[in-house]
Amino acid sequence: MNIYRIKNMSSSPHKKNAPAQKNILSEKEKIKQQEFQEEAVGHINALYNYALHLTMNPDDAHDLVQETYLKAYKFFDSFEKGTNCKAWLFKILKNNYINKFRKNAREPGKVDYDLIKDFYHSIKDTQSDSEDLNAGYFRSLMHDEVYQALNSLPEEFKEVIQLCDIEGFTYEEIANMVESPIGTVRSRLYRGRKLLRSKLNEFAKKHGYNTDNEETP
Amino acid sequence: MSAAVDGELTLNEQEGFEKHIMKCPTCFSEFKEAQKTKSIIKEKITRFKAPQSLVNSILKLTETPL
Ligand SMILES: [Zn+2]
Repeated sequence: MNIYRIKNMSSSPHKKNAPAQKNILSEKEKIKQQEFQEEAVGHINALYNYALHLTMNPDDAHDLVQETYLKAYKFFDSFEKGTNCKAWLFKILKNNYINKFRKNAREPGKVDYDLIKDFYHSIKDTQSDSEDLNAGYFRSLMHDEVYQALNSLPEEFKEVIQLCDIEGFTYEEIANMVESPIGTVRSRLYRGRKLLRSKLNEFAKKHGYNTDNEETP
Repeated sequence: MSAAVDGELTLNEQEGFEKHIMKCPTCFSEFKEAQKTKSIIKEKITRFKAPQSLVNSILKLTETPL
């Protein structure tokens, strides 16, 4: 993937084409465009959040999502209709991320808490679309605490929890994305949730809740 | 245990699991806790909207012949 070409595309998308034909698509391209918009574009928020979790940086997340869609659009013919388009896009994004960032990124399992804090506060004002539904222990946990708790987990746990609990992928889809056997996914979820629970309980105790007796809301 | 929480058990496994947690308080509370953790993450995680500029550039992409 040539990132310079993408940058050029976003700043002046039609540079290479004569102005007269800039918006003219063939019939086949029109169908592809429509299908792509129906199938793929709706997952943009999910992809953006996944990219944020991976990169911890809004600019990198922006580029990563843009490159993912460029690649997806280019190879949309290879997408098997009837399969999970969201899973397909996530896999492309993950591959892109590995190629682009992994070489000089944080070591897996090592989390920079200050980076997370800075990151969180830098985009905290962005609109959030989650809602408060419950009272008690549940309500006492602040959005940013849950976010922090999840981000404080080692990457291998954080990732499967995110893919499973937030994005709702099946074990099979997750196994494919993280390139590990289903059994590994299962045990990472188990251990990750245990770690997460103790982090969340710490927060809840701070708010005065006795987490040992709380029933599921 | 995670498979039970995530609805990834086969029907047979599910039946066996349900029978087990009815008579094993340890697994029962473990199961409830894991369920709770899952729902907290699901409902309470901060979600960000993709910036409008990003959405626009993706839509523009599909208007451009490759
Ligand atoms: Zn048991």
